[in-house]
Amino acid sequence: MAKIEPGMEAMLDMYFYETNSLLEQLDEILLRTEQANSFDSEDIKEIFRIMHTIKGSSAMMGFENLSVLAHKAEDMFFVIRENPDVITDVSFVYDLVFQVSDSYKAQIENIQNNVGGEYEAIDFSELIDKLLKARDVLLGETKGEAAPAASAPAAGAPAAEAAPAADNKTTVRVFFEDGCQMENLRAFLLINTIKEACSFLEYTPADVETNSETAKEIIDKGFLITFIPHDSVDEVLKAIESALNVQSYEIVSQPVAAPAEEAAKMELPPEPSAAAPVAASPAPAAAPVSVASPAAKEQTAVEKAQAAVDKAQAASGSQKQSLISVNLAKLDALHDIVGEIITTESMVISNPDLEGLELESFNKAARQLRKLTSELQDTVMSIRMVPLAGVFQKMNRIVRDMRKKLGKEVDFVIEGEETEVDKSIVDSLQDPLMHLVRNCMDHGIEEHASDRTAAGKPEKGTLKLTAQNASGEVVITVSDDGAGIDPEKIMNKARKQGILTKPESEYTEKEIQNLILLPGFSTNEQVTEFSGRGVGMDVVKANVEKCGGTIIVDSKKGVGTNFIIKIPLTLAIIDGMEITVGDLVFTVPIATIRESFKAESSQILRDTQNNEMIMIRGVCYPILRMHEKFGIDTEITDLEDGILLLVETDNKSVCIFADKLIGEQQVVVKPFPAYLTKYNIKGEGLSGCTIMGDGSISLIIDTNTLIG
Amino acid sequence: MTNDVIKEAVAKQQSTDRKLSTDNSVLGKVMTFYIGDQIYGIEIQYVTEIIEMQHITKVPHVPPYIKGIINVRSKVVPIVDIRTRFGKEEIPYTNRTCTIILSYNDISVGIIVDSVADVEDIHSHDISATPENRSVNTNSFIQYMIRSGDDVKLILDVGKLLDDEG
Repeated sequence: MAKIEPGMEAMLDMYFYETNSLLEQLDEILLRTEQANSFDSEDIKEIFRIMHTIKGSSAMMGFENLSVLAHKAEDMFFVIRENPDVITDVSFVYDLVFQVSDSYKAQIENIQNNVGGEYEAIDFSELIDKLLKARDVLLGETKGEAAPAASAPAAGAPAAEAAPAADNKTTVRVFFEDGCQMENLRAFLLINTIKEACSFLEYTPADVETNSETAKEIIDKGFLITFIPHDSVDEVLKAIESALNVQSYEIVSQPVAAPAEEAAKMELPPEPSAAAPVAASPAPAAAPVSVASPAAKEQTAVEKAQAAVDKAQAASGSQKQSLISVNLAKLDALHDIVGEIITTESMVISNPDLEGLELESFNKAARQLRKLTSELQDTVMSIRMVPLAGVFQKMNRIVRDMRKKLGKEVDFVIEGEETEVDKSIVDSLQDPLMHLVRNCMDHGIEEHASDRTAAGKPEKGTLKLTAQNASGEVVITVSDDGAGIDPEKIMNKARKQGILTKPESEYTEKEIQNLILLPGFSTNEQVTEFSGRGVGMDVVKANVEKCGGTIIVDSKKGVGTNFIIKIPLTLAIIDGMEITVGDLVFTVPIATIRESFKAESSQILRDTQNNEMIMIRGVCYPILRMHEKFGIDTEITDLEDGILLLVETDNKSVCIFADKLIGEQQVVVKPFPAYLTKYNIKGEGLSGCTIMGDGSISLIIDTNTLIG
Repeated sequence: MTNDVIKEAVAKQQSTDRKLSTDNSVLGKVMTFYIGDQIYGIEIQYVTEIIEMQHITKVPHVPPYIKGIINVRSKVVPIVDIRTRFGKEEIPYTNRTCTIILSYNDISVGIIVDSVADVEDIHSHDISATPENRSVNTNSFIQYMIRSGDDVKLILDVGKLLDDEG
């Protein structure tokens, strides 16, 4: 057991965030390169850099075991970096690095769960031994090889070609953001970033990498970098400017014999302003120094720099952007405030005091306000939206591991990873997706390739993870082309488990397939490492439903299985239709309403159980009387006096009978108070409540459970 | 107040003669209110605010003592009628009827009482345990009693009141 060093707690959050994103980046690179089956020098350098940063920050935080582990991994990569040719059989390297990454995550999680208390320091000695051995193996191979040592490795190679005149040096003083902490490591990262684009590079303090004391010096005096660029000073400056946590930089000295083009630009700023700090992020056009180049050129320069900085991003096309990290609680607060504003806006604009008044300019202003608030709302929503790429990438990793363990040949295809959903949804999607992917790998794809060829399918299975936007919903599909679900097997199992609720003959194939989503159902006779404990599918269902989504199973025996998850884009604000029943006001999500109409007695039918139905354009719909469903007293009980709303979800339709329509309103969904959660309100057709313009409360109809 | 503090206070009274003991410390404050003729109390730290009766939005599928939800400054708060909760007959709400908003373990609940009485100190001398006989329905919600003169005030156990299924 160990304790986090006092004084370090404040930095923990950042450490976790940084290390976790680095590890994710590492996984991503590994997966990508493993698929291509080769490391290129960029990747190796990137991995090296990641390991190095982790090592540094772990040491700084006092996590010795983590630091040592990273150090050994770094050692191994050092060998690889120096001699990129050594890795002929790379698979063991991947396995090792994945192990390292996993151990890291485990340890960090452990620490994270015990912040403020004691955490358990995991003993990595076994893994470290392996790393050492791997290094020796690699070293052995190196020595065995004849020439490659002579040809200087990647980083050094291009340096020789472009050695311009010595007085071409540019010196820049960089300042980091206040309180960004670990300045020395940030400085080192910066050096790594621009190393590529420079043929000469020198910096003070020089020992940033190893000496954490230098952080203070950097804060006080700034970080001095002297460099000679390959191409243009601009490019390097851009890279510095766009680097993480750099607040500002100033040019201390510039090349005397600058190229003509460069010099032309230099004429503009007189001597003093050249030394003035240039703001790093805001519009470069306003900046006095060389940054004021034509927009087009700038664009390419940025792109080039960007490409050099993080090749990983460019290559995998993932949407990770390290722009700014904001505490989610703050966003939630902001979101709440916007909700309040929208409510208050309705309060003002449809204030009863204004009724019957001619207020031309007020109405104009009100429209303007409404436009702005809706823009504000959209923006706040978009802040919370994150691409699914992160979660999808994690699935990649799971597939990889299972592929190895189960020995199944499977292609993993990801589509639509750029689809964005609310952050809170992304978080709660990870577990369900993981279960589904595992299930597909474990149960879906056939055990033996021969089974597949016999069924006329390609030897290699395909597992597909797709996401797309469809009318206010995000549809995520996990599909495999495996054996599919055997309805008979499901039925047998269900019979044994006693979870059937109606006579067997009444079950449709779809219903049978969806039985697997019930608690306590698992057809796998053997409990495997990955699935088969009989929890899982029902957990998946519960998780998906928790974020307001639905899940359907669609499978064909022998062809494959699709799990279709539908999730609302955002949960918090919906367009609703207000209806009254007795003295209660309900909100029906407009997205589910097909039409509203007055009933005529000729349209109304009754079946043998005296259930009311209505015939609309030749289709018969059941009628659901709201006052009966919710036990409300109302004077309007005759179908012809009230209003009918035809609502539809999941291909199920019903006509809701209410007293009258009030109108359309945008409402902020609030969950029911915690005190009421023990009662089954949500299961009975209500999803939440909302506060309306006049301060009264309206209950929001959940069409799904209302019909079900 | 924790149960330990109450037990200690009760134990002290039983062991020593009350009148001789000089140790009559103030243990906290209670807000008292009427249900019928009986005075009840709730320790002040659970009380967030007292508001007038306002329109309550009914919620289906809840026990009858949960009257519904109201909007308290943009927060949705469920409302419990203490009378119905204790199995007493309902009486029409008057202008003395009040809603006391309680907060316990981050759960906010409003309770409807006939009228609010006072806020007063709890003296350790006045505390006594509830009778052993817990067959009466309301007794299970009472944490301890306060005697002052001939009055007996029943102090409610907010945790039980809000958590129990009843």
